[in-house]
Amino acid sequence: MSLLKEPDLGTPAKAGPATVTVEVDGLPVTVPEGTSVMRAAALSGIEIPKLCATDSLEAFGSCRLCLVEIDGRRGTPASCTTPVSDGMKVRTQSPKLEKLRQGVMELYISDHPLDCLTCSANGDCELQDMSGVVGLRQVRYGYEGANHLAEKTDTSNPYFNFEASKCIACSRCVRACGEIQGTFALTIEARGFASKVSAGGKAFMDSECVSCGACVQACPTATLQEKSVVQLGMPTRSVVTTCAYCGVGCSFKAELRGTELVRMVPHKDGGANEGHSCVKGRFAFGYATHPDRVLTPMIRERITDEWRPVDWDTAISYTAAKLRDIQSRHGTGAIGGITSSRTTNEEVYVVQKMIRAAFGNNNVDTCARVCHSPTGYGLKQTFGTSAGTQDFRSVAKADVIMVIGANPTDGHPVFASRMKRRIREGAKLIVVDPRRIDLVRSPHIEATHHLQLAPGTNVAVINAMAHVVLTEGLVDRGFVADRCEDFDTWAEFIARPENGPEAVEELTGVPAEELRAAARLYATAGNGAIYYGLGVTEHSQGSTMVMGMANLAMSTGNIGREGVGVNPLRGQNNVQGSCDMGSFPHELTGYRHVSDDVVRGVFEEMWGASLLPEPGLRIPNMFDAAIEGSFRAIYVQGEDIAQSDPNTKHVTAALTAMELVVVQDLFLNETAKFAHVFLPGTSFLEKDGTFTNAERRINRVRPVMPPSTGKHEWEIVAEIAQAMGYPMHYDHPSEIMDEIAALTPTFAGVSFEKLDKIGSVQWPCNENAPEGTPIMHMDGFVRGKGRFVPTPYVPTRERSTRKFPLILTTGRILSQYNVGAQTRRTGNVAWHPEDVLEIHPHDAEVRGIRDGDEVVLASRVGATSLRAVLSDRMPVGVVYTTFHHPVTGANVVTTENSDWATNCPEYKVTAVQVGLRHAAAPADAARDETVLPEMAE
Amino acid sequence: MSPQVRLANEIAVQFRHQPPDAAAAAIAAHIRTFWEPRMRAELMRWVEIEPESLDPLAREAARLLRG
Amino acid sequence: MTAPVTVYVPRDSAALSVGADQVAKELERAAARVGRPIRLIRNGSRGMLWLEPLVEVVTERGRVGYGPVESSRVGDLVAAGLFDGADHDLCQGVVDQLPWLREQTRLCFARVGVTDPLSPEDYLAHGGLLGLRRALELPAADVVAEVTESGLRGRGGAGFPAGIKWKTVADTPGPLKFVCCNADEGDSGTFADRMLMEGDPFTLIEGMTIAARAVGAQEGYIYIRSEYPDAVRTMRRAIDVARAEGWLGADILGSGLRFDLFVRVGAGAYICGEETAMLESLEGKRGMVRAKPPIPAITGLFGKPTVVNNVLTLASVPAILADGAAAYRDLGVERSRGTQVFQLAGNIARGGIFETAFGMNLRELIHRYGGGTLSGRPVRAVQVGGPLGAYLPESGLDLPLEYEAFVAAGAMLGHGGIVVFDDTVDMAAMARFAMEFCAEESCGKCTPCRVGAVRGVEVIDRIVAGQDPDGNLALLNDLCELMTEGSLCAMGGLTPMPVRSALLHFPDDFTAR
Repeated sequence: MSLLKEPDLGTPAKAGPATVTVEVDGLPVTVPEGTSVMRAAALSGIEIPKLCATDSLEAFGSCRLCLVEIDGRRGTPASCTTPVSDGMKVRTQSPKLEKLRQGVMELYISDHPLDCLTCSANGDCELQDMSGVVGLRQVRYGYEGANHLAEKTDTSNPYFNFEASKCIACSRCVRACGEIQGTFALTIEARGFASKVSAGGKAFMDSECVSCGACVQACPTATLQEKSVVQLGMPTRSVVTTCAYCGVGCSFKAELRGTELVRMVPHKDGGANEGHSCVKGRFAFGYATHPDRVLTPMIRERITDEWRPVDWDTAISYTAAKLRDIQSRHGTGAIGGITSSRTTNEEVYVVQKMIRAAFGNNNVDTCARVCHSPTGYGLKQTFGTSAGTQDFRSVAKADVIMVIGANPTDGHPVFASRMKRRIREGAKLIVVDPRRIDLVRSPHIEATHHLQLAPGTNVAVINAMAHVVLTEGLVDRGFVADRCEDFDTWAEFIARPENGPEAVEELTGVPAEELRAAARLYATAGNGAIYYGLGVTEHSQGSTMVMGMANLAMSTGNIGREGVGVNPLRGQNNVQGSCDMGSFPHELTGYRHVSDDVVRGVFEEMWGASLLPEPGLRIPNMFDAAIEGSFRAIYVQGEDIAQSDPNTKHVTAALTAMELVVVQDLFLNETAKFAHVFLPGTSFLEKDGTFTNAERRINRVRPVMPPSTGKHEWEIVAEIAQAMGYPMHYDHPSEIMDEIAALTPTFAGVSFEKLDKIGSVQWPCNENAPEGTPIMHMDGFVRGKGRFVPTPYVPTRERSTRKFPLILTTGRILSQYNVGAQTRRTGNVAWHPEDVLEIHPHDAEVRGIRDGDEVVLASRVGATSLRAVLSDRMPVGVVYTTFHHPVTGANVVTTENSDWATNCPEYKVTAVQVGLRHAAAPADAARDETVLPEMAE
Repeated sequence: MSPQVRLANEIAVQFRHQPPDAAAAAIAAHIRTFWEPRMRAELMRWVEIEPESLDPLAREAARLLRG
Repeated sequence: MTAPVTVYVPRDSAALSVGADQVAKELERAAARVGRPIRLIRNGSRGMLWLEPLVEVVTERGRVGYGPVESSRVGDLVAAGLFDGADHDLCQGVVDQLPWLREQTRLCFARVGVTDPLSPEDYLAHGGLLGLRRALELPAADVVAEVTESGLRGRGGAGFPAGIKWKTVADTPGPLKFVCCNADEGDSGTFADRMLMEGDPFTLIEGMTIAARAVGAQEGYIYIRSEYPDAVRTMRRAIDVARAEGWLGADILGSGLRFDLFVRVGAGAYICGEETAMLESLEGKRGMVRAKPPIPAITGLFGKPTVVNNVLTLASVPAILADGAAAYRDLGVERSRGTQVFQLAGNIARGGIFETAFGMNLRELIHRYGGGTLSGRPVRAVQVGGPLGAYLPESGLDLPLEYEAFVAAGAMLGHGGIVVFDDTVDMAAMARFAMEFCAEESCGKCTPCRVGAVRGVEVIDRIVAGQDPDGNLALLNDLCELMTEGSLCAMGGLTPMPVRSALLHFPDDFTAR
């Protein structure tokens, strides 16, 4: 495959049913009303020269290269800013236009370095191309005049340079930063000839730039250029694939020279991202080829032994034999495994198949257990299936957006950019979060309401909102009557005075009037859309809250069309997929319970194995059973449970108690310290398969290079199953997807062939929806009628006490990703070298803590130390940290509390104390009460 | 406290808004749907040896599960 | 005790710049000294700038003027009987009867210099609010029609018919519309906007309120350049007064009309006088020109339908409504109807405001009213319409002051600023200055203007230095064509006008010396 150049039609598409027909150079073309002359021409195959126009940005009209002549109009209007009108006759070529275009280029080149041959953009430069296109042959002004050739290059960003001497002041970067990314970090400084692109008068790295790459993408010259291109040169081929970071699932063109990855370029045809990216997907891919990667299988008898590299056959037969041995001594149910949301659907599928068919039990769970399992439970109970209702594009039709327990600008930046664009267009925003996240107020964005609730009181807040909707007569009666059931029971419950805003005000900390106003806004502003994250699910009432949001959406009729819905923002690239693939102990693919004899029968026949009708152990249950002694071996696919799961002490005790821990991963992670077998995994650049993003979009992951470990992950799993005596073999991952499709009604129409043909599909994809389903529950809910479920507020057991008077809540930041295994091995550390504890100045003051002090953070289960940063983003009494660095071990302090329905851990609420760390005191000794101040109650 | 007892009690509170019979049935259904057999066995064991450690609704659910 | 004598001392900033405040102070002191009670009113300027500070004393004969009065001469004047309108070598007689004023047709400037700018009583006493009251009685569409029929065209320079613009805004549906007044008067030789705002701010407020009534706007903004601090102060105080009087606000004159007005101050960029750059600036953004379409009448301030008119356009509206479209249309010639407020500046003996119906010829205005050059030397060139207007040679001054006649002569009337040069002017330097001005003031958005203006200066320098004059003249010509045809807005598009007119009429100035 050669380098994929995407066509650029110059200006964005205009939607709308009305069309007009125009003639461009004699060729008729019919386009939607409002389309620019430039785009109409491009659609008819005529490329009008341009520099400041690109179809990802609104027309700007500054370069003046795209001038055309239009019959009956004076002068030479710019084709980018002139909309077509019916019957218009456009000429794109004439001696006069040629002269004008040459004149413009002559001016450009009179202030541009003449180093094309040694320029990093040589061959990929629109200025160079346009010089050729307009036939520039001389620059009569000479090169001695005023110029910008001495401008300094800003190399401060780890990933790209800003070579100001090559800037043509087209403002594409400035506009991309505003229009696409919505950060507004760039501007044009000064005016006239002195105009120059500026990151707010600072170096890029010191500015508000979030390094999303939109400016680099937009730059027509070498001015904003990837350092990798400067160092390595132009790539020569592209592979379209899918980012392996968050659940947005951006499509990228991996651009390579041979097998060397030069850069990742966001793909315009990507359904999730439509050409946009964030700092992680765009730039932070260096981990994939990092020297820390282990490429050879390794085994050891005891975790105190040195690792012993072995060949694949040895590793596989050793693992299989050990597993069978443990089963023979402790029973079939003594082993199990965890699938990873970082791997492909195909890789997940084979692991759960191995466990169910080869291990012969249902002890399979997935890391979604610790993030979105309440979504699975809650949305299944209410709507009938575990998935977000909308596609990302839908947000462009929302009139009021409610963001609950999510921080999209950090966690899901590419989707956040879409959302911010809509808010800038006028949609209202309600933020429900204990922290003042960036969305609450950022350039050109301001939340109408920020319900700054106390951590752990989500359900009380959502119930109170529903109470307002119900008692103030804002229920969409028609929708409820036609589409839902069990409304009356719910209404009776929600109308109770204890659910009123005034009743919960003290508990939640949200002023009743503010809550009422927010509820009214959500119910009456038109299309109401809810987006939520782990701030909803990772609570002891996570599942209740998910149902509470579903109830609210149904009661206001905000389900089943564009612009509305209830949407989980998934943390990992394939959380949706790993759940879809039957990773939960009680469910086969497509969320069908193992006790369903008919479904199980289909699987048994296809797999040639008998399956248990009883649910298996969930991750926390596995740990409990390990400590108790009945669970002896675990297969961990790509998840660092020792770092990411709560109450680290408990987790490590469980791991230590087991006879066999098999870790399949890129790196020797924290869990690997307790492992006996290490099976090296493949990075997303080596994988061949599919990821499913938060909008149920199944995207292809295509191999950019062969597996550096010598084996695909699905091959390893199949071979272990084989070695255990269960026949499992595939020649290609497409065969795995074919098997999934054959077994799963919602995937029946999915195949690699179809994905390669149409790009991506959103499940359900079957004979009813051959091209997929962007929006669910349009004509009816998956379960038939939407079901209202009463959602009593049951407070968490975790309470602040005299000893632990603060509440710790956790989250992520933009530049880092989860446990940091990937991002810590990239240039992204420049933004976040360590985890810090954000603490309110008031809480810091009474503890004698100053900004930057090393502090001890302790809960009833553990303690760690980190640096304090004073911040008033949280209310008094709440502290916040991230868990990207193992050295911090934020989960040392998180507790065993979990969601009642799914055991999803309560990461978001931990009672803690914070105190200054004494110079010599190690973190472990930090719980000494002389170190930690006790607060008077 | 056994994790199973604790969890059963936590589930029980979620259904307290319902009439006791319906609540116990819902709790039992939940446990049947999501709990691995050895977890259920553990719960039964605690019902035997320390019934007072269980929420009355959870106790009733356990009775239904046994039945 | 005798009744106090009413004395007028302008507080127009042109008068202030030549010591009007000191004169006022001295007058009060002298009055106290001689025991004559006076009522001192700080009026606007009458527009006879060579007479500033022009002190007027109310007498039985009328308002007798003295000027130019230096503060050092106040004592002498008072002693000579100024408070009684006595004769003096500085006495100009009854001001209203001075031919310079008498021969004007003051509609827009009718009250400027006559009234106390911030006195609502004075405003009403001199015909204020008649236009608005009538507009409130008419259906909105009739108000638009009235303006259309009057033939009023935009006084900012482009001369676009105001009624058509208003109709577009009125016909564009939307819950929120704006009326924006462009008071970023940056053209060289222009000062009428400033003098109106300082001398009769209520007229502008009334005009904008009528516009709001006509198009259904709820909010208005007056964008005033930062170089006009006195105008900013006066407008703001006038708005406060108007609100207090119920001329602005939720229920204007009890009609139910809701309209409020705010002053916004520019930051020193000439380009913000371009309407779309002004809108950007009003939105709090960098003053950069927008591409049109969409036009501001449909997608204007904050994307809402917006009337953008110049101060003089809006200030002409009250008179049109008060006296009817026909009265206005009866003035002027061809497609240039009504009056234009000309501003005489540069090397001119009698500079100032001359409001007259369109059609007078330029020579008459400069020589008969302006009195020729201040230096007394022959007129060599006249630039009309600001720094982007054409230079006319002395031989071309028989041009009627009318939009289309100027266009036909390769020139433009613009905002009515007239700058006179005598025979010592170096026209190559003036052409260079045009490019330099463009380079200095370009917003930097479009290439022909951003880079072209800088290259224009360089090329003219080479021509004047005798470097390949033919080649460079050809290049300059190509550049002018590119800027004219290719620029995004009038800034780059019109810069070639002074350059080319200088080349055309004064080619010898460009040969090397």
